[in-house]
Amino acid sequence: MQQALGDFIYALRQAGLPISSAETLDAIQAAHLVGLSNEKLFKQSLRATLVKRLDHQPLFNATFDRFFYSLNTDLSSVNDNSDDTDLIEAKVPSASPQEPSTAKSVESIEPNQAMQSSLAQQLLASDQSNLQLAIAAAVSNADTQSMSIFTQIPRITFDIMQSLGDAELKQDLMQLASDQLELKEINEQQNDLINLIQMRRQQLRQYVRDLVEQQYLLFGQNKPKQLREENLQKIKLTSIDHRHQQLMAKMVKKAAKQLASMHSRRRKTTKRGKLDVRKTIAANAAYDGFLFHTKWKATRVDRPKIMVLCDVSGSVSRVSRFLLLFLHSLQDVLPKVRSFVFSAELAEVTDLFDDNDIKTALAHIMENWGNMPTSYGQALLDFNASAAADIDNKTTVIMLGDARNNYGQDHVEIWRDVYQKSQRVLWLNPEGQFNWNSGDSIMDTYRPYCSKVAVCNSLRDLNRILGSVLKNN
Amino acid sequence: MIIRNKDKIDAPKTIAEHFEKLGYICNDSIATAIYLACHLQKPILVEGPPGVGKTELAKKTAEFLSASLIRMQCYEGLDEAKALYEWKYSKQLLYTQLLKDQLGDVMRGAKGLDESVARLHQFGDIFYSEEFLEPRPLLQALNSEDGAVLLIDEIDKADQEFEAFLLELLSDYQVSIPELGTIKAKSNPIVILTSNNTRELGDALKRRCLHLYIPFPDQATEQKIISSQVPALKNELKQQVVGFVSQLREMALKKVPAVSETIDWARALLLLNVEQLDPEWVKNTLNLLLKFQEDIEAVEPEIRNLLKNRA
Repeated sequence: MQQALGDFIYALRQAGLPISSAETLDAIQAAHLVGLSNEKLFKQSLRATLVKRLDHQPLFNATFDRFFYSLNTDLSSVNDNSDDTDLIEAKVPSASPQEPSTAKSVESIEPNQAMQSSLAQQLLASDQSNLQLAIAAAVSNADTQSMSIFTQIPRITFDIMQSLGDAELKQDLMQLASDQLELKEINEQQNDLINLIQMRRQQLRQYVRDLVEQQYLLFGQNKPKQLREENLQKIKLTSIDHRHQQLMAKMVKKAAKQLASMHSRRRKTTKRGKLDVRKTIAANAAYDGFLFHTKWKATRVDRPKIMVLCDVSGSVSRVSRFLLLFLHSLQDVLPKVRSFVFSAELAEVTDLFDDNDIKTALAHIMENWGNMPTSYGQALLDFNASAAADIDNKTTVIMLGDARNNYGQDHVEIWRDVYQKSQRVLWLNPEGQFNWNSGDSIMDTYRPYCSKVAVCNSLRDLNRILGSVLKNN
Repeated sequence: MIIRNKDKIDAPKTIAEHFEKLGYICNDSIATAIYLACHLQKPILVEGPPGVGKTELAKKTAEFLSASLIRMQCYEGLDEAKALYEWKYSKQLLYTQLLKDQLGDVMRGAKGLDESVARLHQFGDIFYSEEFLEPRPLLQALNSEDGAVLLIDEIDKADQEFEAFLLELLSDYQVSIPELGTIKAKSNPIVILTSNNTRELGDALKRRCLHLYIPFPDQATEQKIISSQVPALKNELKQQVVGFVSQLREMALKKVPAVSETIDWARALLLLNVEQLDPEWVKNTLNLLLKFQEDIEAVEPEIRNLLKNRA
């Protein structure tokens, strides 16, 4: 049972459930306790020990059904051959009722004489349990768990057939056929035998293939996704294909959640605040009231206050899309994020994010502000009018944009003010450093008034930079 | 945990039957979780919307196992001084004052500092002994001879640090007190943690617990619950009540009515001698089910339709 449970847990992990080894041990203990007799109870016990989040339950249920129901048929076919539901029994019948005439005529031949290979004998034998055991052994030897792409299915099927002795069987069949040719007379019975074996061989092949496919669904299905996710992390946001955007959106959400949950907790710092008189007296009671140990009230540091300005004009819209996604998710957790978007002019979208889901909000933003020519000067003027008064020394201002100003006014003095008033100013530029200041880009004009200027064009960059913003606060 | 009647916990089904006798209708997964908790000695983390009987489950478990229930309500800022132990400072202070003269007697005749200190050492750390220890819920649970049911309510309201502090208790049933050393449970308590999911709990905590999610019950179960809680309610009215509430749960409300609210409503209807649900009664008692004015305003115009659907 341990082996089966181990495989099951491996399948769960492949499906994306985070299961630790401690939980595995718990599950094994629980399974031993409840036994296999009551299937519902067994499932519930495993679920209680392995699944710790509500949203993982459907995944668990699906994997459980796929794993144990396919296993069930396997087990029963090994143990009990007469079972009607038996899969292989139906597919590889030893003396099947569908073909009485051939079976009868074939029975008169001693298969041992004609066919040497063990597989042929197993196929013809009335007892299928040996074949079953052989298949089970071959499947477990074939390392089906490491499958990651569906094109591997035929190869693994082939491997399994080979280890069952398919090569020898083929040779035997060829031998038989050539014997017949040599004798130049057609032996009816031999012909029947060849046909029967070939048919059963096909059925066996199909059965093995089904098995391998099942294994792929269990173990390998999610591997390509994992691989793709890893690659998408590194790839440039501007060069991500349209069809990956949905997956990307999910990943951005996940990353933002992670970041937020990591940092929303760091609220208390070890900084000393005021002396806590009550605690100090209590702590020093044992010293006859002499104040040996002083107790301090910890000061609470507010959660980071962030203002983000996001360029949504044509040139950077692809990157800003992801930043907006990120912001939307962050805003759920960090209460003091204010978001602005701009192209020709600037507007605050904090409320829009609060009230709408991300799809509606993004569509609205792109419709109203997207793909217009950028004017940094106008955007800064608007920003100055609407939000500059709220900037204090705890605020981090983040600008996402390529500083391509269409040769307009720069209003750099506003940016300088912002820099002086705030705690920190970050400029994230989606363009590579060599493109800065080329053409209408005026990065160097704003650069002196930024605490940090960084290239940001992959999800990983975004994650790292925003992570450090949250950490330092 | 010392469980006197082993036969009570020999199967989840038996547990479910016993719970039903105590007036708690539990589904299979609840019974299985309790069964596993008793046998594997693991804490249960219970999640679910408010009012589905998470806290009640702990109370009934204590009753079922004839153990004492020790309850700890979590909140932001809860620390180990409130959860685990505290020294009785005033008692310590008082004793030092009273014993001053005694100390003089003890020290009399001692030559030099070394001898005085040596004599003092003979008395040990009297001020940091169990005498001066004020046990809080967690320590009480560890110290109870026959084991207890420890309910750690709304763990999600406590700070992250407190969650980490609980880990030692949950996995090994022991806690470390700097002055006294490690205190092990005399008999492992059954620990039930509840959470309303106001924040995501840490993986370390989840890993140590069995997980149980209690959803809103289906109509049949809820009817059973009402019959056990408000037995005097007529069958027909009971069906109407449950049907109405389950329709409310499907509406987009700020807070949907939970089981406890259904029970309250049923009790109120019984008290008011209502025979049949009609729009007027529903309207007058709606504030028992819905706790937000917005929700009440949203539902009021729909009452007639909802009742019609029932019929």
